[in-house]
Parts: sequence; C-alpha cells; structure tokens
Amino acid sequence: MNQGLWWMPRHVVSGRTLRLRLGPLILKAHRSGSEWLLSAEEVDETEAVPGVMLEMSDERPDDKYVRYACRDPQDRIAFRPMLADRPMVVRPRQAVFVLPGEETIFYISTPVWVGVVAGENDQLLREIPASRPSDTWFGPSTRTGEICYAARTQARNVLAEVPMRAYRVVTALRVENRADSPLPVEKLSLPAPLLSTWGREDGSLWSDTVHLQRVTDSDMAAIRVEPGPPSYASDATLLAGPRMQAGKGGLVRAFSGFFT
Amino acid sequence: MENALVDSLMAFFTSERALAIVRAIVLLAAGLMVAAIVSRLPQRLMGKRFTPHQAMLTRRLVYYVILALFIASALRELGFSLGVLLGAAGVLSVAIGFASQTSASNLISGLFLIGERPFEIGDLIRVGTTTGEVLSIDLLSVKLRTFDNLYVRIPNEQLIKGEVTTLTRFPIRRFDLKIRVARKEDIGRVREVLMDVADRNPLCLDEPRPLFIFTGFGESSLDIQFSAWATRENYLDLLNSLQEDVKRAFDAAGIEIPFPHRALYAGEETRPFPVIVHSVIPPDSDSGKA
Repeated sequence: MNQGLWWMPRHVVSGRTLRLRLGPLILKAHRSGSEWLLSAEEVDETEAVPGVMLEMSDERPDDKYVRYACRDPQDRIAFRPMLADRPMVVRPRQAVFVLPGEETIFYISTPVWVGVVAGENDQLLREIPASRPSDTWFGPSTRTGEICYAARTQARNVLAEVPMRAYRVVTALRVENRADSPLPVEKLSLPAPLLSTWGREDGSLWSDTVHLQRVTDSDMAAIRVEPGPPSYASDATLLAGPRMQAGKGGLVRAFSGFFT
Repeated sequence: MENALVDSLMAFFTSERALAIVRAIVLLAAGLMVAAIVSRLPQRLMGKRFTPHQAMLTRRLVYYVILALFIASALRELGFSLGVLLGAAGVLSVAIGFASQTSASNLISGLFLIGERPFEIGDLIRVGTTTGEVLSIDLLSVKLRTFDNLYVRIPNEQLIKGEVTTLTRFPIRRFDLKIRVARKEDIGRVREVLMDVADRNPLCLDEPRPLFIFTGFGESSLDIQFSAWATRENYLDLLNSLQEDVKRAFDAAGIEIPFPHRALYAGEETRPFPVIVHSVIPPDSDSGKA
C-alpha cells in the first residue's frame, strides 16, 4: 500500500506536530512526552482544498489543543477514515423518479469522519468529521423518528461524473422499483453506521454498496448492505468496519420514512 | 436495697415480656436491614433495563412491603392483635382524615401522578414560573432542582390541578425567534437571509424545515417569527448561536432592526415643524429683562 496515503500510520517524535489538511478540516497532532495533544479546526467549505496535505512541523501547541495522557508513550499515530456515526439523510438537488420495474444506481458522497488512533493497539483518541453536516430529523412526526445528519447530493448515476474529493466517501446506492408506480427519490436515509469504509491507492474512499428495493405499491422498502468493496473499486482495502451490525434479514422500513 | 433492685431488673429481663420486646426490636432491625438490601436487588438484577423512575418505584414498593411485614410480626411479638389495631385505625381514620385533608389530597394526587406518568425522574418540567429537573416523585410532593441549583418542593395537588409542561418529552424542540425589521426592508430578502443562517448552523435541524411567518405590520417595523428546530440537548446552544448569527447576517446584509420611533406632524397638509435649538440665555441678562 502506498505509504503516502493520509490514513497510513505515522511516527511522531516528542516535540513534533503532524498536520493534516483534509478538505475543510485542519487537524494537528502534537506529541509531548507521554501525551498526545490534538487540535481540530474547520474552515469554510468554500476554502476547502480538494486534495490532502500531510506534513510534519515543529509547531508549538497552544491552548486550543486537547491533551490525552497515556502511561506508555508510543510515537505511532494514524488518522482512520470512517463513515458518519448516525444515518445520513440525503436529498437530491433535483427531483428524481425511478420508473416501475427499473433499477438504477446513484452515487452519493458524504463527509468522512477522521478517527485519531494512537499506539500499537490503536487506541481511539477522538473522532472529527471533515465537514460537520447539519443535524436533521428523520421520521413520520416530530414525536417519533431519529436524529440524523443532513446532506445534499446531485445523485449522479454516472461514476465518471462523481467528483473525487479526498474528504468525502462515495456510496453506491442501487434502487430497484418493483412496484407499478414511479418511485420519487426525494429524501433517503443512508445507513452510514452499517457501512464499512474502503480506500484505494489513489486516495479515494468508498463504502459498501447499499441496495434498496421497493417491492409493492405499499410504503415498505427492503434495505440491504452488500458487504465488500464495490466492483469498480475491487482493489480497495478495508480501512474501518461498520460501527454497528444490521439486524437479522436486513432492515425493512416504511418507504414514507425513506422517501417522503 | 440494691440487691432488690438488681433482682427485680434480672426478673424483668428474664421474663417473657422482656424477651418479647427484645425479639420485637431484633425483628424491626432485621426488617430494616432486609428491606434495604432486598429493595436494591431488582435494580441490580434488571440492570439498565430500568429507567430511574421505574427503579425508584420498585425500590420503594419492595422496601415498604417488607418493612410492613416485619412491623406486623414485631407487633405480634409484643402481643398486639392486628385485627384490633386495624379496627382502631378504622375509627381513627375519620378523625385523621379531617385533620389531614391536605396531606390526603396530596397523597391521592401522588398516586395519580405515578399512575399517569406525565413526566419521569430526570425530565425537565415547568410548573407555573418554576422550571427544573425532576429529582423525585414522592407520595406528597415532587422535588425539582432549578437551573440556579435551588431545591423546590411542589405539592402533588398543585401538579394535578394546574398545568405542567414537560420540556424533555419529545426529542426535538422548536425555538421561535421573534424579530422585527425596518419597514423599508424587502421581506423576500429577509427570508432568504434567515433561511441561509439556518442552513449554515449545524445545530439547526434541516428537517423539519425552519418556519418563516410574517406576523404583521408593527408600529415601526415589520414583525416576523422565525422558528427553527433543534434536538432538545442542543436547544440552548441553538438559542444563542442562531440569534448571534442572525444579528451578524443582518448587519452584513444591511437589514435594519428598528427601534420604536415616532414622527411628529403639525397637521395634515403641512410639513413637520423644524425645531431649532438656540443656546440658553441666562435670565438676568439684559435681553431677558426686556
């Protein structure tokens, strides 16, 4: 694997700072004796760099740093790409319909979460989203539902058109409409905590493919996660497993919840 | 003389009566201990499946049932007949009922509160002007801890009779920002700026969408209500950050938040009086005398 990739482990000697610039996120990890000092700052997304910058410096930590004390100082640290810790509610910028009997694939990109792990046993120090999405509520009423993150998407269906940004993970969503009426894709909940994160040599990040099937004209949909890297990124390596396991037989939820 | 006293004491302590008292005391002590230990068991066995509210109810129920059994046994040891005691209690209850009308009302209200469960321990409630976290729901009163860390006891009767608002019942809350802009402002533009502020604030929920209501023409302003949603944990943070953001965005966009003002007119067709202030002339000057 390419050692230059930002998620590969690094060794930081005492007194040095490792600085990661990932899209709008500036993450600094400074080692001082037996402590790790972390600082995270998010700049406006318009100022985000498209690529990644990773450098070692002698920068001194200031008061904004958070200190993590450990007994056995180890100089190994790694930034681990992960998916969001809550489902991601994605809304296409334009109205999209899937015709009856048809199947299509949408590519949706969501911000990556960076887990900072230190030591040989990969002790998780902190998790920071590369770009903090807005909170949103996903449910039939204001009484029942769950808190999710909100994201906007172009819902592109040609892979080549998807812009590859280092700080976003691309998820392929296969939508199959077996019902007799067109299926409006206005809002859908991506079960990010159930997905693994995969990385390629070129620095692109991918997740497991999500398969969504609408069976009848009712509001029910079957959602299934297809484990493993997507076929077009088969050389990708696993970077982080799912945060939680899907229930038995996959999740079956109301369509009105997924598409309202 | 001393021997006689010792003898009589010895006789008392070895008598059946003394033994019965000792047995009763031992039973009471054992009852208190057993009740305290056993009442904690259900929570330990059920672990985290109990909410604090259920845990407290179970603990109290088990505690008092066990204690009552032991007290009954202790009374039997002392030679009291339970039947007679209960009969006496029946006669007394009428007198006690009149004397403790308030307590009885609170007690029954407490039972209703426990049954109805309008709030649980740990919830935030508002009763009249008092807002606080529920510390305990007892038979006579509910105890609150207010935000300024005061301990408030509210009689159950008041909770049953009056309006109680549970602030933490649902997971999300709406914050209504009442705002005024100058009459010259373009309402469409104001709406755009406010929606943009909500979009940029990560604590403001994307769904349900923020609500923009043009509530009317004020005396010297256009009145607007802007309602945004947040999770109940982030409510206070949203309240602060949203207002700050709105002020900043209005300043940047040149939208004026007006203060109440009055214009004076001399009459229907005339222009307002021009008011010119001259320097004050001292009363003892020459011109003043003339």
